[in-house]
Amino acid sequence: MDKLYLACIWIAGTAIFFMSLIIPFGVFTRYVLGTGSAWPEPIAILLMMLFTFIGTAAAYRAGAHIAVAMLTDRLPESMKRSAEVLVHALMLLICAFVVWYGTRLCMETMNQSISELTWLPVGVTYAAIPIGSAVTLLFVLEHLIFGSQAARPIVRSEDRQDAQPDAVEGVL
Amino acid sequence: MDTLVLLGSFIVLMIIGMPIAYALGLSALIGALWIDIPLDAVMIQLASGVNKFSLLAIPFFVLAGAIMAEGGMARRLVAFAGVLVGFIRGGLSLVNIMASTFFGAISGSSVADTASIGSVLIPEMEKQGYPRAFATAVTVSGSIQAILIPPSHNAVLYSLAAGGTVSIAALFMAGVLPGLVMGLTLAALCLIIAKKENYPKGEVIPLRQALKICVDAAWGMMTMVIILGGILSGVFTANESASIAVVWAFCVTMFVYRDYKWSDLPKLVHRTVKTVTIVMILIGFAACFGYLMTLMQIPLRVTTFFTSVSDNKYVILMLINVMLLLLGTLMDMAPLILILTPILLPVVKALGVDPVHFGMIMMVNLGIGLITPPVGSVLFVGAAVAKLKMGEVVKAMKPFFIALLIVLMMVTYMPWMSLWLPRILGL
Repeated sequence: MDKLYLACIWIAGTAIFFMSLIIPFGVFTRYVLGTGSAWPEPIAILLMMLFTFIGTAAAYRAGAHIAVAMLTDRLPESMKRSAEVLVHALMLLICAFVVWYGTRLCMETMNQSISELTWLPVGVTYAAIPIGSAVTLLFVLEHLIFGSQAARPIVRSEDRQDAQPDAVEGVL
Repeated sequence: MDTLVLLGSFIVLMIIGMPIAYALGLSALIGALWIDIPLDAVMIQLASGVNKFSLLAIPFFVLAGAIMAEGGMARRLVAFAGVLVGFIRGGLSLVNIMASTFFGAISGSSVADTASIGSVLIPEMEKQGYPRAFATAVTVSGSIQAILIPPSHNAVLYSLAAGGTVSIAALFMAGVLPGLVMGLTLAALCLIIAKKENYPKGEVIPLRQALKICVDAAWGMMTMVIILGGILSGVFTANESASIAVVWAFCVTMFVYRDYKWSDLPKLVHRTVKTVTIVMILIGFAACFGYLMTLMQIPLRVTTFFTSVSDNKYVILMLINVMLLLLGTLMDMAPLILILTPILLPVVKALGVDPVHFGMIMMVNLGIGLITPPVGSVLFVGAAVAKLKMGEVVKAMKPFFIALLIVLMMVTYMPWMSLWLPRILGL
């Protein structure tokens, strides 16, 4: 699971790295080479899909998603526990929906192609949705069976010793 | 009844502690089952919600700001502000506000602003005799400027939630004046408090040193020049300028400032993935939720409701202000922008309020929400950086809340403040 988590981080990280190079490259070809190319846009969007849906799985495992904890924090311990189980059961539900219908969507759009890049089926650009959600599903199961992984050192590896975890969690 | 099922299920899911993004998705599913819409349609909304070219700007802006915040930018902006206003009585509190103004010009994130400027200035202010709670209150309130001063990814979110009908360039320029007015109001308040409490003056910095500080800060401030210059002149699109800002921020951090070690890069990757993807997935599921809201004609009904309460523009804007302030204290900014914009924009449009102006009203309201208990992410971060209890900071913040509410009223009832600059630029 740790390997899967790190793989998610690195896939998403690589995706955003290339995204932020491809778009300036598009500008470069337009102004410097004088040949505007059509491929940077769809490729960047493909990478963004990859980044979003794969990365969100890792963010889930790290407990980074925004949730309202105001009420649940004040519940007695036993009810807190059952609310948590309920939330995760519901998480399974929504992830399962995305995996199932996402796969269907990919299958249906496999024979359509993107207008700018005729060799690239639309289904491929959507593939990150079911895959990423399947990984999220695995992480939710892991959370249900083994408890939260968010405090483990491997998940927290980026926090420097001197920094407050709160301060870095939501750069938003 | 439809409305109750959709909104009710969302609220219940949120209260039991489900992550907001997934709660939006699940309640959209419940709503779709309720009004008998094929679930494939919901799925298509999720896919096309993220599969949008206009969305690319958001990860880029967030990333550029994050790189700047980590790469020692805050320290240099603080030094730069110190050159300009440090010698006045209460100098460091003015420096704090002004550094946030500059920080707002490279990043749109109040949390990043508080974390990076706070960790530099709160200890420094305490050393010079300011109470720590006051220093924190100044940092936290000043950081709201980052949301208004361009580039702001929240403005991009608003433009997206408005269905792409509001231009990002116009929103960016609209934020300049309200942002500066907010900065000046807060600075004036700091001056008054400093006089009363007799806070120390800083020193005048010798010219040679001052020049070096200015050059240092200019590297970072170039980000804003690239972004705004690029967009306004039409050389770059918003996406392109955002991506170039990322490359620029990276190069400045790595090759000019060199505070950040190459071996620290994996940390940056980890952090970026966690902070940016949570917004992206929120946008995706909010698209599903918004789709259901439109099908159920919720925006239309809300408009009818508001116009039945009163047909006076100013009364309704006040009602909306109160609502936004209350919701803002409970929820985070990004989900609120995504959920409320499609509901409220038709209401204010029907009253003749400019969507760009309304965007600014929303930013200020939700910005104040970020620093108000019970849930205020910026307040949390500020208290954590200062190692204070939230209550102590809130006590010191009282005058600042009043100042911010005055700014809110000005932004709400003086539309020219938001609209003048975009208009003369022809946006």
